[in-house]
Amino acid sequence: MAGIADFLDSLIGGFALICFAFAIGSLFWGLFVLRPWQREAGYPILLLEKTVKLMYLGGFALAGAQLFKIILKIWLMTAVLDKWPFPEFAGTTQFIGGIIRALLTGALASYCYLVLRKNPYSKQYWQTAGWVAVPMIISGAWLVHAAGRFDNPFLLMGLTVIHQLGAAAWVGGVFHLVNIWLMRSKGQIPDDLWPLLLKRFSLFGMASVGVILLTGLPMALQYIDSWNGFIGTGYGNLLTVKIILLGLALSLAGLNKTAVQDYLITRNDHTLTYRLPYYIEAEAFVLITLLFTAASLASQPPSIDIPNLTASWQEVLDMFTPRTPRTASPTHQALIAGEAGRVAIIGQIPSEAATAWSDYNHNIAGIFLTTMSVFAMLSYVKRLPPTFSVFERYLAYLTRYWPIGFVALGIFLFFRSDAETWPLGPIGFWESTFNNGEVLQHRIATLLVFVLGVIELIARLPRNQNSRLPYFFPILAAFGGLMLLTHSHVGFQAKSAFLIQVGHTLMGVFSLILACGRWLELKLDRPGKDIAGFISVAALFQIGLILLFYREPLY
Amino acid sequence: MKRLYALSLLLLIGYQPVAHAHAVVTGYSLKMTPIHAHQADKVSLNFNSKIELGLSQVFLVSKGDQLTPLKIAQGDKQGQMMIAIPALAPGDYALKLKVFAADGHLTEDVIHFTVVP
Repeated sequence: MAGIADFLDSLIGGFALICFAFAIGSLFWGLFVLRPWQREAGYPILLLEKTVKLMYLGGFALAGAQLFKIILKIWLMTAVLDKWPFPEFAGTTQFIGGIIRALLTGALASYCYLVLRKNPYSKQYWQTAGWVAVPMIISGAWLVHAAGRFDNPFLLMGLTVIHQLGAAAWVGGVFHLVNIWLMRSKGQIPDDLWPLLLKRFSLFGMASVGVILLTGLPMALQYIDSWNGFIGTGYGNLLTVKIILLGLALSLAGLNKTAVQDYLITRNDHTLTYRLPYYIEAEAFVLITLLFTAASLASQPPSIDIPNLTASWQEVLDMFTPRTPRTASPTHQALIAGEAGRVAIIGQIPSEAATAWSDYNHNIAGIFLTTMSVFAMLSYVKRLPPTFSVFERYLAYLTRYWPIGFVALGIFLFFRSDAETWPLGPIGFWESTFNNGEVLQHRIATLLVFVLGVIELIARLPRNQNSRLPYFFPILAAFGGLMLLTHSHVGFQAKSAFLIQVGHTLMGVFSLILACGRWLELKLDRPGKDIAGFISVAALFQIGLILLFYREPLY
Repeated sequence: MKRLYALSLLLLIGYQPVAHAHAVVTGYSLKMTPIHAHQADKVSLNFNSKIELGLSQVFLVSKGDQLTPLKIAQGDKQGQMMIAIPALAPGDYALKLKVFAADGHLTEDVIHFTVVP
C-alpha cells in the first residue's frame, strides 16, 4: 500500500496550500477588499455568510489536511523503513509542528464558525480573526523547506511565510471573485457589487503579486547559485514552471484589469459580464496548478546543494531535439531479460531494451497526439483549399470525433506502461498498483486518458449538444497536467530522473494551457472562443511533439 | 489577555525544534579515504541538512545485492552521519540509504565504493 501513500503524499501539499488560500485569502478579502463594516447597507448578509463560510471551511480542511499529512508520513515510513516509526517520530518537527499547526488552524476556523459568522459586519471581530490567524501563520514557518537550512534559516523561513501570504491573498481573492460572480449570476447580490469588488481587488491583487515577487527573488538566489543550477536541476525546472504559470496568470489578470478600466470609462458591461468571469475561472485553474507546483518544489533539493548532479544546458536541450521517432519496439522478452541487471545495485547494467521500450511508448503516444491535434486544428478551418475539397465530407467526421484517439491511446498505454506488471509482466495488477507510487500514477493517467476520450466522444454526439459533458474535458486535462507537474522524484539517479522530469513538466504546462483554452472556448463568445479553442489544440500538438521526440536517458 | 497573546506568540517564535529540508548527500569520506580490506572502518556522510537518525537506515550492499544493516551515529558537524563499516573482503560494495529529513521527505540514495586489498 506504499504506492497509495506515496501518491497521496505528492498531492496533499498542494491541497493544503489551496486550503490555506481559502482560509487566509478569505481573511484578507474580508479585511482589505470587502471591508464589511464600511458598506453595511450595501452588502447582503448572504454575501458575508458565504465569505465567512469559505474561510472556516478552508480552515477546517487545512487542519484536516495537516493531520492527514502526519498520518501519511506514518504510513509511508512504516512501509519504507519496515518498522513502526514511534516513538522517534513523535519528537520530530513534522509531528510536533504539524500537530501545533493543525490545532491553531482549528482554533481559527472555530472562531470564524462560532463568532465571526454571527457578527460578519463587525470590524472588531474581523480584526480579532486576524490576530487569531497570526500564530497559525507563524507556526507554518517550521514546516517549510527553509527551516532545515544551515545558512540563514530564519531569514528564509520568514521570506517563505510572507511569500505564502502573498500567494494566499491573490489566490484566495480569485476564489472569492469566482464566488461573487456565481452569486451575481444567481441574483443573490446587487449587480453593482461586481465592478466595485473587481476594481478593489485589482489594486489588492497587484500588491499581492508584488509581495510574491519581492520575497520569491531573494529565496531563488539563496537556493540557486548558477544558471546551470536553474536550467539543469529539478528545483530549477519547477521554479521555471512556476515562473511560466505566474506569467500565464498575470496575462489573464491583465485582461481582467483592462476590462475593468474599460468599463469604468465606457460603462459598457459586455466584457465584464460575458468574458471577464471566464478569464477569472481560467486564472483560478492556473493558480491552483501553481500551488501544486509550489508544493512539489518543496520536495526537491535546492540546486545549490547538488552541483555534481546538475545536467548541462546541452543535455536539457537534447531532450527536446527533433529526431526520428522510434516505431519499432524491443520484444517483451528482451525487456524482461534486462530488468535484473538494470535494477541491480552492485554490478548494475543499464538496459538498452528498457530505454527503447520507454522511447517507443512515448513516441507512439506522440504520433497519436500530433495526429489528433492536426485534425482538431483543422476543425477551425472553415473551408479547405479547392484541391482538397474532395476530403471535406470525411473531414467533418474526423475533425469532430478526433477524441477517439484518446480511447485508443488509453488502451495502448494500458498494455505498454509498466511492462513488468500485469497484463504483460509477472507482477500482479493489484500488487503493482498499490505498492508502487509510479505504477499507480501511470494507471491513473491511463484511466484518465481513456475516460477523457470516452466522455468527450459522447459529448460530441449530436444528441448531447446542450449537456454539461464537454466541461469534463478541461477538468480532466487540468488534473492530468497537475499529475505531470507533481510527479517528480529524486532517486538513485538524480540526473537521469531530472532529464525525464524536464519533458514531463513541460507537458504539464501545455496540459494546463489545453485545459484553460478548452474551458474558455466553451464559455466565451466569438472571436475569443475560437482563439482560445485553437490555442488549446495547439497546446495538445506541442505535447505530441515533446512525446514524438522523447528519448529516455540510458540508466 | 493581550499579554497572554503576546507571550504565546513569543513562545511560538522561540520554539525552535530541529527542522530539516529534503536531505541529499553533499560529501562523503569515501571520496577521500578508501576502505582497506579486512579492517573495520568508519565512513562519514554530510547532508545538506540535519536528518532524523532514529528514522534513518543505512545498509551495506554486497555482491548479489545482499543487504546488511549498519550502525549509524551523529557526526561532529551539523548534518553529518557516521557509519560503522565491518571488515570486508576486497570487491565492489554500496551503501544504501533511507534518510528521513524533518520536512517529512524520505530520501533514498546509493553510494558505490570499492574495498581495496
